[in-house]
Amino acid sequence: MSFEIAIQARDLTFAYPGGAPALSGVSFDVAAGESVGLVGPNGAGKTSLFLCLSGVLQARGGALSVGGLDPRDPSQRRHLPSQVGIVFQNSDDQLFNATVFDDVAFGPLNLELPPHEVRQRVDEALARVGLTGMEERVPFHLSGGEKRRVALAGVLAMRPSILLLDEPSMYLDPRGRRELIRLLHSLGGTRMIASHDLELILQTCQRVLLLDGGRSIADGPAQTVLADATLMEAHGLEVPYRLRGAAR
Amino acid sequence: MTLAFSLPPPTDSPLSRLDPRWKLAALSIAAAVTATLQTLSVAVAACAGALFLAVLARLPGRWFLQRLGAASLFVALFALPLPWMLLDDGMSWSLGCLRVSRHGVQVALLLAVKAIALLTMFLTLQATAPLETNLKAAHALRIPSLFVQLGLLSYRYIFVLADELRRLRIALRVRGYRRGMNRHNYRTAGHVAGTLLVRGYERAERVGQAMRCRGFNGQFRSLKKFSTRPVDVLVFVLVAASAAALLVWDRYLELTP
Repeated sequence: MSFEIAIQARDLTFAYPGGAPALSGVSFDVAAGESVGLVGPNGAGKTSLFLCLSGVLQARGGALSVGGLDPRDPSQRRHLPSQVGIVFQNSDDQLFNATVFDDVAFGPLNLELPPHEVRQRVDEALARVGLTGMEERVPFHLSGGEKRRVALAGVLAMRPSILLLDEPSMYLDPRGRRELIRLLHSLGGTRMIASHDLELILQTCQRVLLLDGGRSIADGPAQTVLADATLMEAHGLEVPYRLRGAAR
Repeated sequence: MTLAFSLPPPTDSPLSRLDPRWKLAALSIAAAVTATLQTLSVAVAACAGALFLAVLARLPGRWFLQRLGAASLFVALFALPLPWMLLDDGMSWSLGCLRVSRHGVQVALLLAVKAIALLTMFLTLQATAPLETNLKAAHALRIPSLFVQLGLLSYRYIFVLADELRRLRIALRVRGYRRGMNRHNYRTAGHVAGTLLVRGYERAERVGQAMRCRGFNGQFRSLKKFSTRPVDVLVFVLVAASAAALLVWDRYLELTP
């Protein structure tokens, strides 16, 4: 049985200037259509890994292919935004236009799509996140959950085949979180979700990659990795509530 | 605090129906001319013209006066000392041991009137079209993308930084900090300003990353389409001609003893 590989990382290494390595020899594959959770304590390298995958940070060593493109090659990096969408931890970092419409249209306009297609994509993306009718609202006057959905719509409007979500449930109230989980279920494509919210990971990802200190510690089915109490405790995490009974 | 930066909902007025490009061009010319005026009577005429535009634009009175009042306090800091500072051989009055020069009073009034006229034009522009429309109009008038985006992002992040400042003030207050005029207060204010700068820088980094992830390459792009009607050109010509007339009047009066 063969899978199309969406993301392939081999011995990925990255260090911030003057700092300890943020990523050290990280290797993994993500098949097309797969949903992978990225877990680990603070400073594990989750956000750095996402920034390397999206071409914002340049991994120093190893090999990396995302949607068939090498994010370290400047000529290929230009095409990454149409392949890889990233939703940042803090939506305020991602919403910079004066209206919701303009913000969602920002990416499609950068892809130099014709105006009618930009409008169509914006309408479609806003409908998918349940924000139709809010086109003229000012993003910084929205609630945390609405901001998160606008940020997601901005990424969906670019129709990326790979979606990276960094702490998507942060700042969300329980209802916002439930809506987010429902939304994530309705999205197709390849997904990687970095989160401390292990219940959310359990509900949205079949597979989990555990990082700590920039190294890949475990990679396996979510139900198995997250239920391993010794492993979780050793890396500053806890077994999710619904797996407590099954925990070893 | 952020309310001070909030724009009013665009009013329905003859000015708000104009093509934003022509309106921006006309008000820019008028503002540039007003800034160069050197005669008080001409500056008063320019101020009257600006207030006429504000009436035409149906600016919300309270919103307009609040901003004008706040700006006047700032202008007063510079204008009030001038009658005592600009002493010359011309006419002057004595107030006890202080001498007030007529020239100084004239310069202070000129400064104040020009400031009010410029602010009125700026508020008229703000109230008659959303900010992003004005910025897109500026881009259509060949203002470099960099400046347009700086304007857009600065406005956007005023609110975020104001929130950061609010959080910092709360954090200070819950730890017993009270405002005062001593070394500890000055040092704390310095630390708060430094923290805000660092956080602002870090946020700018993250915003830049988010923009690049969505394909941003430095180009300002917009779907906004503008269309010119004869009335847009007519208003532009009227405002520009009035500005030119004021400039000629100002230079003529200046040359005439």
